[in-house]
Amino acid sequence: MIKFTNVTKIFKSDILSQPFTALDHVSFNVPEGSMVGFLGANGAGKTTSLKIIMDFIRPTEGEVLFSNSLGKNKLEIFKNIGFLPERPYFYPTLSGLDFLKFMGKLSGLSLNQINDEVKKWAPIFKIEFALNRELKTYSKGMLQRIGFLATIMHHPKIIILDEPLSGLDPIGRKELKDVIIQVHKEGKTVFFSSHIIPDVEEICDRVIFLKEGKLVYDGSVNSLMQSGKTQDFYISAHVPPDFVPHIKPKESIKFPDDLQKFLVSPELKNEFLSELITNQFNVVSVEMQKPSLEEIFYKTRGQA
Amino acid sequence: MTFQKIQIIAFYTFKELLKSKILINVFFVGLLLMVMTYVATEFTYGVPERVALDFGLGMLSLSSIAISLFLGVNLLSKEIDSRTVYMVIARPVPRYAFILGKIIGLVGIQFVNVFLLSLMTLVVTYVLGGNISSLILWAIGFTFLESILLLLVVVLMSLLANNILSSLISVVILLLGHAVKETQGVGFVQNNPFVKTILEIYHFILPGFYKLNLKDFVLYKTALPLEYLFSSLVYGLSYSAFLLLVIIFIFNRKNID
Repeated sequence: MIKFTNVTKIFKSDILSQPFTALDHVSFNVPEGSMVGFLGANGAGKTTSLKIIMDFIRPTEGEVLFSNSLGKNKLEIFKNIGFLPERPYFYPTLSGLDFLKFMGKLSGLSLNQINDEVKKWAPIFKIEFALNRELKTYSKGMLQRIGFLATIMHHPKIIILDEPLSGLDPIGRKELKDVIIQVHKEGKTVFFSSHIIPDVEEICDRVIFLKEGKLVYDGSVNSLMQSGKTQDFYISAHVPPDFVPHIKPKESIKFPDDLQKFLVSPELKNEFLSELITNQFNVVSVEMQKPSLEEIFYKTRGQA
Repeated sequence: MTFQKIQIIAFYTFKELLKSKILINVFFVGLLLMVMTYVATEFTYGVPERVALDFGLGMLSLSSIAISLFLGVNLLSKEIDSRTVYMVIARPVPRYAFILGKIIGLVGIQFVNVFLLSLMTLVVTYVLGGNISSLILWAIGFTFLESILLLLVVVLMSLLANNILSSLISVVILLLGHAVKETQGVGFVQNNPFVKTILEIYHFILPGFYKLNLKDFVLYKTALPLEYLFSSLVYGLSYSAFLLLVIIFIFNRKNID
């Protein structure tokens, strides 16, 4: 749906300053119907990439291609895109409803269509009580929610979100994630940047990692998780505090009530278990280690 | 379709500016105008209506210059700094429609300002026994046109420099634009070919605001040749159109970062 091809962006603020490469020959695809997480530490180049996609800034090299299903020219394409910038700010003296009318009209919706969309989404986003209030009285979470409503109200085919969940409380994040999942199920492609990896792991089927302006991974979440699997096992058991096993575990973590969690390799798992059972220790659980996306990111790619 | 988008942006820009209490400025300037006119007429024999008109047109000019400067310099920079521009141009809106809509919205506010202050001036002048000549109406119209021209200079400068610098440069252009004609007639300039050439080049390139200033004529004349008025009008309009094209050209190519 979006093909980001060999894009380089070099910033140079003035003649005397050193050029700064924000993106270095980055290429990736956002396939139609996918939910893609765009990951990277602060300064990795995520927002710069999104600004290039949205034509706010031009690349030094490379190009962004949109599929024909989005449209043939820029105006047609942008009619099918819903974009929410990072920390969106709105016209402070406009009311929430005025803002939605403004955005809806710009996207070609009639007043009736706008009212229908507001009726549908305002209760879901829990902002119907504040629609007649000026936006300057909104909390950050409310602004994020009304911004999201404005992003999806014109039924775009692809939704591009820049850090949509940052700064929200856990309940606000959950609610917004639920809506993202809902619109994705309705057939929309979702592409969103985040530095909160568990959120991406929870809802995305595909991830793109950037590090210091370079692409480090572009593929499915499952493949990445498989690549990070170690086949090691966590064995939890109640053991005396002075217990020293004959087989040295890779890792051991102590918990209250003499509970200990050992990380052992698959070939030593049975032997380690036998030792515990022989000593008549209470084995609580045996589970295969499943590293989170965040652990894989930091261990294998990140250090960001 | 695009015309509709320009209208929408202009409408909401106007609405936002209106709610930002900018017209309180008009109220206080109007009040000041009334008080100063009253005080001045107490000390004037025979020509209170001229004093009222002089004060009124002066206040109108200052107020519209202030609006063009202070709102014009923030018109785009505030949108970019606060990222509100992203919400608009991420939609099917050409950049030129955005900039035209913003400028038209601000011109609308300027129109309300000029309309209200002129109305007050004309009422006070009439009550004090003055005649409302067509030249006064031309002077008011030209003040409006001058404020648009200045607004476009400020917006253009704000695309090229930071807010403080663009305000300063705009004020300098405004002052020079008013003084250039008289400066050209000074003996020192007439006798110095280098300075004369510099001023001629300046006069040719930068806006001659003096052409839109009829305030001096208004107090002592009731009419000016129509050719003069129309040539000034065409000059003001065509210079404004030229600046608008340059602004659109630059904004279309600008990295909005």
